[in-house]
Amino acid sequence: MKKKNWLMLLLVGIITLVLAACGGGSDSEKGKDSGKEEVDTSKLADTVKNDAEAKSGGTLQVGLVSDSPFQGIFNWELYEDAYDSTIMEWTSNSIFDTKEDFLISDEGLASLKVDEDKNTATVTIKKDVKWSDGKPFTIEDVIYPYYIIADKDYTGVRYDSDFQNIEGAKEYHDGKAKEISGIKKVDDYTMELTLKKVSPAIYSGGDGLWGYAAPKHQLEGIKAKDLVKSDEVRKNPVTLGAFVVDKVVNGESVQMVANENYFRGKPKLDKVVIEVVPSSSAAAAMKAGKHDILQSYAANQYEDVKDLKNAQILGRPELAYSYLGFKMGKWDSKKGEVVVNEDAKMKDVKLRQAVAYAMNVEEVAKAYYDGLRTRGNSLIPPVFESFYDDSLTGFNYDAEKAKSLLKEAGYEDKNDDGFVEDPDGKEFTIKMATMAGTDKDDKIVQFYIQNWKDVGLKVELTTGRPIEFNSFYDKVQADDKDIDMFMAAWGTGTNPSPMGLYAKNAQFNYSRYTTPELEKLLADIDSKESLDADHRGEAFKAWQEYMFEQAVTVPTYFRTEIVPVNNRVKNYDIKYVDGAQLQDIEVTEDAPAK
Amino acid sequence: MWKTVVRRFLIMIPQLFVLSMLIFILAKFMPGDPFTGLITPQTDPARLEELRQQAGFYDPWYVQYWHWVTNMFRGDFGDSYTFKVSVASLIGDRGLNTLWLSLVSVILTYLIAIPLGVIAGRYQNTLRDKTIVLYSFVSYAIPTFVLALIFLYIFGYQLQWFPTSGTVSVGEDPGTWGYFWSKVYHLILPAITYAFLATTSIIQYLRSEIIDAQTQDFVKTARSKGIPMNKVYTRHIFRNSLLPIAAFLGFSITGILGGSVFIETIFGFPGMGQLFIQSIMGRDYSVITALVMLYGFLALLGSLLSDIILSIVDPRIRIE
Repeated sequence: MKKKNWLMLLLVGIITLVLAACGGGSDSEKGKDSGKEEVDTSKLADTVKNDAEAKSGGTLQVGLVSDSPFQGIFNWELYEDAYDSTIMEWTSNSIFDTKEDFLISDEGLASLKVDEDKNTATVTIKKDVKWSDGKPFTIEDVIYPYYIIADKDYTGVRYDSDFQNIEGAKEYHDGKAKEISGIKKVDDYTMELTLKKVSPAIYSGGDGLWGYAAPKHQLEGIKAKDLVKSDEVRKNPVTLGAFVVDKVVNGESVQMVANENYFRGKPKLDKVVIEVVPSSSAAAAMKAGKHDILQSYAANQYEDVKDLKNAQILGRPELAYSYLGFKMGKWDSKKGEVVVNEDAKMKDVKLRQAVAYAMNVEEVAKAYYDGLRTRGNSLIPPVFESFYDDSLTGFNYDAEKAKSLLKEAGYEDKNDDGFVEDPDGKEFTIKMATMAGTDKDDKIVQFYIQNWKDVGLKVELTTGRPIEFNSFYDKVQADDKDIDMFMAAWGTGTNPSPMGLYAKNAQFNYSRYTTPELEKLLADIDSKESLDADHRGEAFKAWQEYMFEQAVTVPTYFRTEIVPVNNRVKNYDIKYVDGAQLQDIEVTEDAPAK
Repeated sequence: MWKTVVRRFLIMIPQLFVLSMLIFILAKFMPGDPFTGLITPQTDPARLEELRQQAGFYDPWYVQYWHWVTNMFRGDFGDSYTFKVSVASLIGDRGLNTLWLSLVSVILTYLIAIPLGVIAGRYQNTLRDKTIVLYSFVSYAIPTFVLALIFLYIFGYQLQWFPTSGTVSVGEDPGTWGYFWSKVYHLILPAITYAFLATTSIIQYLRSEIIDAQTQDFVKTARSKGIPMNKVYTRHIFRNSLLPIAAFLGFSITGILGGSVFIETIFGFPGMGQLFIQSIMGRDYSVITALVMLYGFLALLGSLLSDIILSIVDPRIRIE
C-alpha cells in the first residue's frame, strides 16, 4: 500500500545530507564504529504506558512526517498517496476488521461469508449504524464503491485484474451492461457478490472483494471523472469512522472532530489535528512538545528521538522486505510472460548462493541501521505468522562457504588478479543496479562490493553509479543487458500472496525466473484447497523453501518502523492485531509534555 | 518606446514556441512516467498500461504535442498526474503561497539592504561600514538550508516565537481576520530567512555605486552650490546609485514566483519551488511543462520590465 515512497526517500535523502552537514557528519563515523549499541527491536514496545488520570476531551496533535504536501484525496477508491491513507485511517470507511495475518474477522461493521462451491461472497452489515452526517448506513453504501471503480471514467488504479474477477464488472466498464451482474442486493443489509473464482486471497480482501463503504447519498450526483476533484472527496468527506474531517488546509493539515454517530461510541477525544512536519525538524518538534504522535517517522532517524524525556518510542515490523534479485531471463510482452534465458550469466545456482552468502547483511544492519533492520531470511515478513517460515536459515554471512561454492561451480582465480574467472577461464564481472538514495545507501553498496571482492567476485555498478529511481525501474523492467543483479524492496501490504511478483505471467517478476515447479507451488497458495488455513500455511512454506533453494530473489532485510508518542497519550498502540480502538485514545495533560 | 514594447512581445511568441517544443520533448525523454511511482505488488500492470493508453502516452510525440499546445491556447494545461487537480488550480494554489512569501521577503530585503548599503557607502571604511560588509559576506557565504535550520531551531523551537510549519493554522476560517493574521504569522520566519540571505548583492552594489558617485562632477557641483551633504546624498547620489538595482527590479518581480526549494522544504511551506522539484521527480508532465512555460514567460517579461523601469528612472536611456 505504500506508494511514492521513493519520492520521500529522495527528499529525506536531501534533508539527511543537510542534517549531516550540521551534525558534523556523524553518519560516516557511525559506519566505522560497529561496536556501538544496537537497538533490540524486540524490546521496542508496541503500546504506550501511561497510568495517569485522563482529562476529558482534548485535542490530539498528530505530526505527519513528510517533505512534501499530501495530495488530499480522502476516498479509498481514488487515493494513491500513502499519506492520504494514513490520514484516512483516522476517519476510516473500512467495513471489515482484521485478525491475525490480516484476515477478515467478524468484529467490524460487516461480516463476510464465502460459498466456495457457488463462488459467491455474502457481505452483511450491522443495522442502525449512521454516517457522520446522520444518514443511515445501508448496503447501498457498500455496493456503491464497486460502481465507482468499474465506471468507464474511473481514473484510479483499482480497476485491475482482481476487480475483474467479479462477474460482469468488465462488461459494465466497457459499457456493455447497465449493471454489474455479479452484484446483487439481497436486502437493505445484505449483498451477494458472484465471482469468477474464489481463492483464499478473498479473506485478505482480494479476489475483487472491496473492503470500504462509500457514502452513496453524498457522492451519487457527482460524475466519476469529477469525483477526484470534488469537495465531497477533498474537503468534507462523510465517514463511518471515529473522526470526521472538519477543516482542511490543502497539503498541510487536517482538523478532525469526534464523530457523534460512530458505531462504537463517541470518541473520548474532542479533536485530532494532523499536520505535515518536515523530516528535518520532526525530532525537534517532538522534543518541543508540538506533537503527540509522529506518523511516518523515518526509522533511520531513531537516534534523534531515542533519548527524548517527553516521549516513548513504539516499534513494529514493517510489511515489507528488501531483496537482491538476479536477472534470469526476459519479459515477452507479446505473450505476456516470462522467458527464462538458459544462458543467463547468473544461471548457476551455486554462483547465486555464493553471492548471497558473501554479503555481510548482519554487519550492515547493525552498523548502518542501528538494528532497526534485521537479516531477512524469507520473502514473507514474519508478521504473517501462519505463512512465514521461521525454520528457514537464510543466507547468513559465511565468506568461506561462498568461496567453496564458487570453487564447486568452477569459478576460480586462474590468473591471480584477485578475482575469479568463469568456468571457461574468461574474466568474470557482475553488473549490479542499485537505486540512488542517501549517502548512507551508497556506502552500504560499496561495503557489499568489498564483501564480494573478499571472496573473489568482481561486482560493478550498472552505469557506474547508483541510478535514479525512475531510470532504475525503467532499466529493470526493460531487462537491460547491463543488469545481472539488482537491489530493491517490496512492500507486501496486508495480502502477502506472491502471485503478482513471482508468477510466470507477472510483469513485476523482475528476476524473469519461472519453472513449472514454481508455478505449481504458487498455484497451490491460492488454490481452493488452500481455503483450508493449514494447507495454505504449508503451501506458503513450500514456496519459501523453494525460493531459498533457487536463490534467485535473495531477501536481505526485514524492517522495523518506529512511532514516537508523547507521554501524555493514553490507550494508544500500533499493534496489528487487537489494537486499541481510536475512540478510546485519551490524553492526560492539557498540552503535550515538553 | 511603446512600439518597442509591442515588438518585444511579438518576439516572445517564437521564443516561447521553441521553448515549448524543447521542454515537451525533453520531458518525454525522461525515463519513467507518472505511473512508475505507483508500482506495488497490489497494482496490476495491465491497469497501469490502460491508464497510460488513456493518457495518450503511446501517441506519436507530435500528436501529443499538438494536443498539449492547442489545449494550452484554450487555457487548459491539463490535470496534474500526482495531485489529480487541474494544473491551473494547483499552480494557483502554490503560486499564491509563494507570491505572498516572496513579496514579504522582497520588501524585507529592500528594507534591510537599502539603508545598510547607503550607510556603508556613505561612511566608507568606518567601523559601521566594516560591520555591514562583514555581515553581507557572512550572509553570502552561509548556505540557505543551514540558516533556515538555525532560524527554525532558535525562533521556532527554542523561543517558540513563530509557527514552525505550514502556511496557516488549520483551525482558522478563511476570510476572517484570524485567518489573515495566521497567514502573516506563518510568513514571517521564512521571509526573514530569505531576506537575510538575499541582501548581499544589493548592499554591495549600492555601496560601491555610492562610493563612485561621491567623486562625480555633479556631486562636486551640488556641493559647490552650497547644498548640504545630507541633501546631496538623498537627492543626488542615492537616485543615481539605485540604477543598477532598478535594473534588477524587473527580474525580482517576476522571480517572485520561482520559490525556494530549501526554504519551502524546511519550513513545510507548500510553494512553487517544491512543486517544481516534486513534479520532476514524479514525472508529472503536465505540471513540469506548464511551470517551465510560465518561468520562461516570466523571464522574458522580467527582462522587458527591467528595461522599461530603467528607462523611467534614468532619462538618459531610451529603449529603441
